[in-house]
Amino acid sequence: MNSLAPRWRTSLIWAWTAAVVIFMYLPGLCLLLASMTSSRYFIFPITKWGFAWWEKTFASLEIHQLFQTSLLIAFCVTVIAVTIALFGALAFARYDWKGRSIYQKIVLLPIFFPQSVLGLSLLLWFNALGLTMSWQTAVFAHLVWIVPVCTLVISIQVYSFDPALEEAAFDLGATKWQVFREVTLPVLFPGIFSGALFAFLLSWGNFPLSLYTTGADTTIPEYLYAKMVAGYTPGVPVLGTVSTVGAAGLLLVGYAIIVMLRRRRAASDQSEV
Amino acid sequence: MNSRSPILQLRKLTKTFGSFTAVKEINLDITEGEFFTIVGPSGSGKTTLLRMLTGMESATSGDILLRGARINDLPANKRPTCMVFQSLALFPHRTVGQNIEFSLKIKNVAPDVRKARALQLMAQLRLPQDYYGKSVTKCSGGERQRVALARALAYDPDILFFDEPLSAIDYKLRKTLEKELKDIHRETGKTFIYITHSLEEAMVMSDRIGVMRAGQLVQVGSPQQIYSAPETKFVSEFIGDVNVMAVTAKGSSIVHAAEFGVDIASPAVPAGFTAGHLVVRPESLRFIENRSGAENCLEGRLYNEYVLGSRIQYQVRVHDHVFIVEKLRQQAFAGQRDDNVLIGWDAKDSILVTD
Amino acid sequence: MNLAKTIGPGTRHALPILLFLLVGFAAPLLAVIGFSFIPARSFSLWQSWSLGNYIEIFNSTSYLSFLWSLGLAAVTVLILAMICYPIAYGLARVFGKYATLVTLLFTIPLFVSENVRLYGWVLFFIKNGVLLGTLKAWFGIEPESWLFTNGIIVFGMVYVYLPFMLFPMTLGVSMVPDQTRDAAFDLGATRWQVFKEVELPLSMPGIMIGFLLSFVLAVGAIAEAKVLGGQQIIPISHDIEIAFTYAQNWPLGAALSVLLMLVVGTMVLLVLRRFDLDAILGRR
Repeated sequence: MNSLAPRWRTSLIWAWTAAVVIFMYLPGLCLLLASMTSSRYFIFPITKWGFAWWEKTFASLEIHQLFQTSLLIAFCVTVIAVTIALFGALAFARYDWKGRSIYQKIVLLPIFFPQSVLGLSLLLWFNALGLTMSWQTAVFAHLVWIVPVCTLVISIQVYSFDPALEEAAFDLGATKWQVFREVTLPVLFPGIFSGALFAFLLSWGNFPLSLYTTGADTTIPEYLYAKMVAGYTPGVPVLGTVSTVGAAGLLLVGYAIIVMLRRRRAASDQSEV
Repeated sequence: MNSRSPILQLRKLTKTFGSFTAVKEINLDITEGEFFTIVGPSGSGKTTLLRMLTGMESATSGDILLRGARINDLPANKRPTCMVFQSLALFPHRTVGQNIEFSLKIKNVAPDVRKARALQLMAQLRLPQDYYGKSVTKCSGGERQRVALARALAYDPDILFFDEPLSAIDYKLRKTLEKELKDIHRETGKTFIYITHSLEEAMVMSDRIGVMRAGQLVQVGSPQQIYSAPETKFVSEFIGDVNVMAVTAKGSSIVHAAEFGVDIASPAVPAGFTAGHLVVRPESLRFIENRSGAENCLEGRLYNEYVLGSRIQYQVRVHDHVFIVEKLRQQAFAGQRDDNVLIGWDAKDSILVTD
Repeated sequence: MNLAKTIGPGTRHALPILLFLLVGFAAPLLAVIGFSFIPARSFSLWQSWSLGNYIEIFNSTSYLSFLWSLGLAAVTVLILAMICYPIAYGLARVFGKYATLVTLLFTIPLFVSENVRLYGWVLFFIKNGVLLGTLKAWFGIEPESWLFTNGIIVFGMVYVYLPFMLFPMTLGVSMVPDQTRDAAFDLGATRWQVFKEVELPLSMPGIMIGFLLSFVLAVGAIAEAKVLGGQQIIPISHDIEIAFTYAQNWPLGAALSVLLMLVVGTMVLLVLRRFDLDAILGRR
């Protein structure tokens, strides 16, 4: 049994995990520190602390525009991705059908693709179609990578979905649409919600696909990259920190909602055993 | 009790999946108000048959007639029948009340009427009234069974189907629920069609039982008939522990068991019976003092004994053939392991069956 | 029979995503393949096709970029495996109710653009940055910055691709039923034997997918070398980008992309073919 595992090993695993978690957040901490200086260049230890760059960044019209573009793209990606992915996930995990095994692999393929190459391929393709790059083409480009991820996330919920629920509703006189609205959708909601969260955040933070497909429009990651390469100001860590904290906040709220939903269901698993 | 007209008639009902025939040319009449149970091992096609009857699977050929009208092409949501699922399929995001009212909501019945009906059904099924707003996920196994049944009854179906709903329930509660279900059947007077792999369960509840094997109904009859007059070795073995000997016909009521090299007095051998099996139930076998103690007798070695509460079973080996002898606990056999014993039975207690 | 019945529910639900991937994934890849066969520095598909671009690649030093990318990716994957296994084991077996929280902590960084996160490391390692600045202020020592070395590129890739190794690995480790582990102990196996004979083989599907995912992503990596590596090493993706942008040689970039796609695609198909995804994801 687990309880027989030596205590030192359990402690060691905890300690190691904690160390790696700190490692994961160290760069974020550096960004935060770098943002809280009043001087033009980053020199550590910081001598002149201050939030001047925060104020400057939030007041900037250019930054507002960036936020708008990034939000618009992420919002469109989320709505479209979840719609396609919900059906994709039902085909992935709910139905037994002939081509399913191949289908699953096809759907996963874009996830395994280097995004920079994917972005360039899409640039070529849009160009061949005679399209002008803009935020709309970026939405499409994001979708190519995010729809499969979203499908995978929702599929995990679909796997635990009992198809008999749909049959039961149908048997009780519901039409196909009523079955979908009254049973399938609400039961799968936690999965759909996580899928939406993933879609939004992945689009929000995406750089390699945006780089080639936004054209004249600019997203926050693109702007940050441009500034990092040439023209560093402490506005870079400010914006970096904002987007990190924003992502974390959104995810934590989402997580809280999922925990709430799950708690309501936790009892069901216990009583079924 | 009920009118004797058939409510459901199956005519040469067949289902194939590719080259595999899951259900083969089933003919069956179900009487209005009957509790009919289809029994079969897993893979016998009973679930496929049930899914065709509920409309969740389409029939490959043959007819399903409900009160004389062909309903093959009627989808499940248009059929006046309803099923209680093996997993129960309770909607986890709904309360007990909402689950029961589901079909009424679909039919746009007014909320207060719905609630009254739900509470009435809950009372009938002995669910406390304050469970109305309780999440189904917080109900116990037995309560969930009752909610599922109430939900199906709220639909007011002409026929209720059951797909092994009790299979995941522990033994003691299952025994209680079996009897409850039979009481509900009596109270509602509806036609129940039940499938299970447990003949024991079928015996308790059913008016009639149909035994399925490899997609076909091999025998249909009352629990009494199935128990005392199985027609095939398969049906006889399905009931539980039986002693089966391969035999060939030798006279008008004599068969030969080549394995033991003896002739055996049997019930009248039917015309056309050449080879088959002789079935003797464990409770019909007895230990005897000498060969004149019974019409038929075999000598073997007492190998082991099993205490089954009120009864005790003894394993006796005759050559390599295993026989089971069953006795009431009060009449326990005094023999020791490895003793040589004589076991015997009378011709009237044995049954001749085909393969 | 209407259309809905003849094509079946599975196919019907798969249709939107398949159509989308046809237009958004297959078509661009075909476009790239098409471009790779047209003469260098041209921008229209409708001309005489040739293998010129491929010949140019094999006559140039681009293969070095390939080797660098594959080598760095391999090193990254091995380091990741060692870092992640204890954590995956912890997530699947030790952390209990905290497992979700720990998973969440590893998920959050995924949603921040990798450039931004890597830039955090630049601020950490740079001269007068968090690390060197502290060392200087407290101990008065001034070592050389590690930035712009080969090691730091691997470091960056390990950092960025850690979750891609960790999550599949966790799925894999949690596929090992407790009782098989207990049974092996009961049958006299040592801790190491249990790991080698039971845990490792049973969690193999998840581990292999973790290897595949992190390797494939690392082969295509570009940001680590650009942001941390100071362009000391040019990985293949960077070569491709240069061809597309500065060099304005789309056909050459396309040919390089095709080669990279071949490497990645072959690996993905070889590995995925061996596993039943349902078992890994659904654990039914």
